[in-house]
Amino acid sequence: MFPIEIRPDKLSEEMLDYSRKLGEGMENLLNAGPIDTGVTPKDAVYCEDKLVLYRYQRPSEVAQQQVPLLVVYALVNRPYMTDIQEDRSTIKGLLATGQDVYLIDWGYPDQADRSLTLDDYINGYIDRCVDHIRETHGVDKINILGICQGGTFSLMYSALHPEKVRNLVTMVTPVNFKTPDNLLSSWVQNIDIDLAVDTMGNVPGELLNWTFLSLKPFSLTGQKYVNMVDVLDNPDKVKNFLRMEKWIFDSPDQAGETFRQFIKDFYQDNKLLNGTVMLGDRPVDLKQITCPVLNIYAMQDHLVPPDASKALNGLTGSQDYTELAFPGGHIGIYVSGKAQKEVTPAIGNWLNERS
Amino acid sequence: MSKQTLFNEDWLKLQQKYWEGLTEMSQKAMGMSAPKQSPWEAAMEQWWRAVSPAASNPAQDFMQRMMDQGKNFFAMAEQFTKPLAGADTASDGWEMLNKTLEQMQNAFTGALGDGDESVRRMMGFWEMPLDNWQRMMSSMSPVPGDFLRNMPHDQVKDSMNRMLSAPGLGYTREEQASYQDLIRRNLDYQRAMQEYAGFFNKLGMKSVERMREFVQSRAEKGESIDSARSLYDSWISCCEAVYADEVGTPEYARIHGQLVNAQMALKKRMSVMVDETLGTMNMPTRSELRTLQDRLQETRRENKQLRRDLDMIKRRIAHVPAGDAPSASAAATPSGADAAKKKAAPRKKAVAKTIAKPSST
Repeated sequence: MFPIEIRPDKLSEEMLDYSRKLGEGMENLLNAGPIDTGVTPKDAVYCEDKLVLYRYQRPSEVAQQQVPLLVVYALVNRPYMTDIQEDRSTIKGLLATGQDVYLIDWGYPDQADRSLTLDDYINGYIDRCVDHIRETHGVDKINILGICQGGTFSLMYSALHPEKVRNLVTMVTPVNFKTPDNLLSSWVQNIDIDLAVDTMGNVPGELLNWTFLSLKPFSLTGQKYVNMVDVLDNPDKVKNFLRMEKWIFDSPDQAGETFRQFIKDFYQDNKLLNGTVMLGDRPVDLKQITCPVLNIYAMQDHLVPPDASKALNGLTGSQDYTELAFPGGHIGIYVSGKAQKEVTPAIGNWLNERS
Repeated sequence: MSKQTLFNEDWLKLQQKYWEGLTEMSQKAMGMSAPKQSPWEAAMEQWWRAVSPAASNPAQDFMQRMMDQGKNFFAMAEQFTKPLAGADTASDGWEMLNKTLEQMQNAFTGALGDGDESVRRMMGFWEMPLDNWQRMMSSMSPVPGDFLRNMPHDQVKDSMNRMLSAPGLGYTREEQASYQDLIRRNLDYQRAMQEYAGFFNKLGMKSVERMREFVQSRAEKGESIDSARSLYDSWISCCEAVYADEVGTPEYARIHGQLVNAQMALKKRMSVMVDETLGTMNMPTRSELRTLQDRLQETRRENKQLRRDLDMIKRRIAHVPAGDAPSASAAATPSGADAAKKKAAPRKKAVAKTIAKPSST
């Protein structure tokens, strides 16, 4: 038997169908209008340099928790991923469980921010945001939810300022940066980071985009657009797709000195796992984290493999450590319908039991 | 804008005509050379030129990507099905398939003939990773990526190295050395780029092999591939699977690192030369700006810490009953500050801006 049975007339039909969908979909693209992201109403309550701290408006019908929650997002990409659309919003889900949610928006660093270090971000910006929230609410400790690189930051912050953290949640957070299945880690091992940062100053978002797309180049830069043609006739799906496209390519540049330390100390030398990270002149000892920890990872995560996150187990000094595995990927954990039903309520319930 | 304007039936008729012609042609003879650009592509591009000005930039970009992928998608289907149309038996089919796969292999070895334009179009798909690199690097460099990529290297390597080893002479010695270094780094980058491209060519050939195995496995299971879409999806799966196997190897990590390092070294040399030129014009250089940025950040860091300590001291003093207030010097000791840190909730005034009025979303 010869298995390829594509008759010319059928091929012709497919091609005409593709063309028709493309032509008709053009209407929906033209009508898509501006792509809005970050759907939940919020107020800017504190700003410093390019950082803005937002507080989300709480639904009046939900009983509020007394301990506020600070979401610390990664420096890579933009935090509106957590609130990307009405029916796909981690923020909305957290508010629904009674959390009083704050979020740090790091903004877009430029060359003037090149000298910012990890110490500046963690012991400076994050600490001042935490202090602002503590003062506003008159509490000693707050809850922190760290996402991806923001989770790594939150771990270090909690280790250095345990007196200010009541509960810590980490989502898709790398802890072991050299697991065998970590392609990103493999790729940076031979890169001269000092040369790159000395040359570029800040690291351009385009370079990060290219790196992330290179993880699955044929699917991410080719096949997904062919697949999209099938749903072009649905205006809502078109808009959702454009939102994701906007987020994927909305990559801020990275402050050079922070990038230098993050790649060298974490990806190349795995210092967080080895307990040898220094922030400024202070060593980071994860054993200092004694608050309850909820560590959430995605089982199909190609950016932060599950083992990279699961390495946290046993590293902290917490007596109350919980893991939650989500059957999805690095992005799906925020935007998939399943995540809205499973992950966000689980975080809310876990916090409510401990706040 | 009406639907009719956007979506012209003539365009579909033209494509229909093309495919009818192709069907007839493929039944008569195999191996006829394909036109340089199929009427489907031509009609699509013509339509796109007419309607795209009405679209917003993101929509234009999005649509362009779908058009480009559509072209790859159908170029592939065309390549696979055209010769097969003349095959009467299963063995003819395998023979034709092997021929097609061989042509695909040739595309990776650079052995494609002039008449293999349709294969070339189909393999445009494989340009994506390299093309992405070129675009990204071009956006960061004054030198266009394509210029660097296509510059001959092997043929001139030895003579260039000899020339570049010659010491500079006279008043412009430093300048000569600087340009020699620039050229040397340029050559290093080309070498790295060629090795990177070579790796992708090998990867492509392995993907073709994977595709052959896939088709064979379908035959063994008695399953058919009956649409262009399933053929395309299978090809993508084969490519991604081989890619995932290969880019996780130490060899790829080395080649990738070499490419990035070579590009950075070249770019750094260019920056140094730009700085030197700016210096001669008595203008601020990047290097000077960075020194200032570092010093400024250090000062800001200290300033923020001092303000913080000062706030804590003030709070501590404010909480001490009248008459018991420590002297300013005692309160300012580190231990005094630490004690205050433990007791009092923090307050900041001048360091940051607290926003009183809620803003809109």
